[in-house]
Amino acid sequence: MKLLTYLLWGAIAAAAAFCLGGVALIRGEHINSIWLVLAAACTYITAYRFYGRFIAARVMALDDRRATPGERLRNGHDFEPTNKWILLGHHFAAIAGPGPLVGPVLAAQFGYLPGTLWIIIGAVLGGAVQDFVILFASMRRDGKSLGKMAREEIGKVGGFIALVTVLIIMVILLAVVGLVVVNALKGSAWGTFTIAATMPIAIFMGLYLRYWRPGKVLECSAIGFLLVLAGIFGGRSVAASASLAPVFTLSAMALAIGIIVYGFLASALPVWLLLAPRDYLSTFVKLGVVLMLAIGILIVRPELQLPAFTRFVDGTGPIFAGKIFPFCFITIACGAVSGFHSLISSGTTPKMIAKEWHAVPVGYGSMLMESFVAIMAMIAACVLQPGVYFAVNSPAGIVGATPAAAVATISNWGFPVTTATMAQLASDVGEKTLFFRTGGAPSLALGMAHIFARTSGGAVIGFWYHFAIMFEALFILTIIDAGTRVGRFMLQDLLSHVAPPLGRMMWMPGVIVTSAMVVAAWGYFLIQGVRDPLGGINSLWPLFGISNQLLATIALCVATTILLKMHGARYAWITFAPLVWLVTVTFTAGWQKILSPLPALGFLAQADKLAAGAADAATATLIFNARLDAAICGLLMVLVAVILADSARVWVGILRGTADAHVREAPFVQSRLQAEEL
Amino acid sequence: MNVLRRFARLVLATLREISDENAYQRHLAAHGRQHSGPEWRRFSEERLRAKYARAKCC
Repeated sequence: MKLLTYLLWGAIAAAAAFCLGGVALIRGEHINSIWLVLAAACTYITAYRFYGRFIAARVMALDDRRATPGERLRNGHDFEPTNKWILLGHHFAAIAGPGPLVGPVLAAQFGYLPGTLWIIIGAVLGGAVQDFVILFASMRRDGKSLGKMAREEIGKVGGFIALVTVLIIMVILLAVVGLVVVNALKGSAWGTFTIAATMPIAIFMGLYLRYWRPGKVLECSAIGFLLVLAGIFGGRSVAASASLAPVFTLSAMALAIGIIVYGFLASALPVWLLLAPRDYLSTFVKLGVVLMLAIGILIVRPELQLPAFTRFVDGTGPIFAGKIFPFCFITIACGAVSGFHSLISSGTTPKMIAKEWHAVPVGYGSMLMESFVAIMAMIAACVLQPGVYFAVNSPAGIVGATPAAAVATISNWGFPVTTATMAQLASDVGEKTLFFRTGGAPSLALGMAHIFARTSGGAVIGFWYHFAIMFEALFILTIIDAGTRVGRFMLQDLLSHVAPPLGRMMWMPGVIVTSAMVVAAWGYFLIQGVRDPLGGINSLWPLFGISNQLLATIALCVATTILLKMHGARYAWITFAPLVWLVTVTFTAGWQKILSPLPALGFLAQADKLAAGAADAATATLIFNARLDAAICGLLMVLVAVILADSARVWVGILRGTADAHVREAPFVQSRLQAEEL
Repeated sequence: MNVLRRFARLVLATLREISDENAYQRHLAAHGRQHSGPEWRRFSEERLRAKYARAKCC
């Protein structure tokens, strides 16, 4: 039996190595997507079995006899021991946002190989380790948040900087995901109607849940989903109607303003009316579509049309500027390493763990699942013809303002595409045009529609395209309304030290003022993205990637400090190695984004180039924006450098024996939880 | 067949957890109360206030 087990694991590990080798080495032909699926799946299974369990057994010394916070502090609300598979689904639903879908689509401009390798290796050695160690640390500390752990383990400076960094990241995140939605919906009556319809649907769901069928969330979400499907069909009729189509055909600026107004209302309105029902619906749709995509890829097994590497590895890419190193590694943050996950791993989840060993599937396993979602997004982007992929994702400022100019530029790059092909594709999906739709969402929707339509016999590609757009926009808008609300709470918390009434969560003037401040902050960057001649994504997505990875840096500083206190230097490499990598990547990317002499890459060089041109008000705004982006990027780097320096001081102290190396875990209490209780 | 039934039960339980229906049942059990409209509203207001005070992942 033991020999059989060894043979089985040997075969899985060999399959992982063989498929990774195949993905990395096959050149000059289109490879089938199943290579990527097998390479990822076999690597994850091997890593989970050996690396995940090694960390659990040797480093964390997980002990099922030790009562978890869920058992000791059980209150029927936050603290509740939960079945591990249910908690796995709950945690996965909480960490899976638009990041692992959009990032790989953008990074596909380098070809499928760099992003794919980073997603797989980054998740196994970095992202899953971060999530797992932070979950473990929080679980051993009564479910404390990352900020509290940073304050206790590193110092007060670390805790404060973590809070400020999260607030800045929220602002950038909300702006960039808002821009993704704007670019997906601009000029699209069908898409805009479908998304607009989700708002009255959400309000209907809110009223249904509160007054008509209280507590029936699943029933209500099923009705909501059917109404959203009806909205997609209705959108086709609206787009075909001579009187209604113009009402829903909106410019990028009009959509941006609409999203800003929506964000403000959703933050200030009662949460049960709009935010919560949308969140329930979008979570179920998200899980369902991810599952559908996995099944679709397995059935269709499409060939990848993009090459392993494109010419844009030299840093001259049209979607975002910069070379593979460091920009591939910050473009794909969620899906490989995401700092935001550390907030979830130190939020609800540690309070619901029933047995310590459940942290392995929940902490390490969930991140591997999210990484697999990123692999599927990479596949969906790479099944498009390269010329189509670049025509959809490139801004007019780079490839030319007209379709004819764009196809000429893209074809000259070696990716042939014609205006007729693009017109036919747009007609197939019920759109007027698919040119210059930067942001990743439309090309992801095209790839998904291609896979779904082939699964259903090649029909109704227009429906599947808009289904995919609805799926992306629905949960992005949920992030915008929930994020604005969270940003408001953080701001109220910070401002309460200066003006105590602003800290009162139910004081309406305070709610309105702080909501407006948060919306104004991300709304400013959103408008900046809309006005940007390079499409906005070129500036904002790297800024978001850098800030997210810097948050991961803070989480890994906390994790390394805890491992040093537990074991000295023996196992600190587990979190220290990904930390060194992230610091190298993010600081290099930040440095280049601020100081590169290339105007397409460096914010300051871009400002200088603009300053040398026309001196009108619009140019002055663009110059100010470029300098503001440089300042934000610099501020984030300084904040994280301070945490790094503070952490290094603590680490040296621990290793020399001069600093407090006391492990601040809750005391051991014998677990009395029985298996049948779960 | 048993495996399928267990799997379906697990999926449903996960959906109930995500939708807060399980949390509501726990709330009723913990406080010894019966389901009613006002009770659900009391529970969901408290639950949602805590839920949306936390950052949502990207």
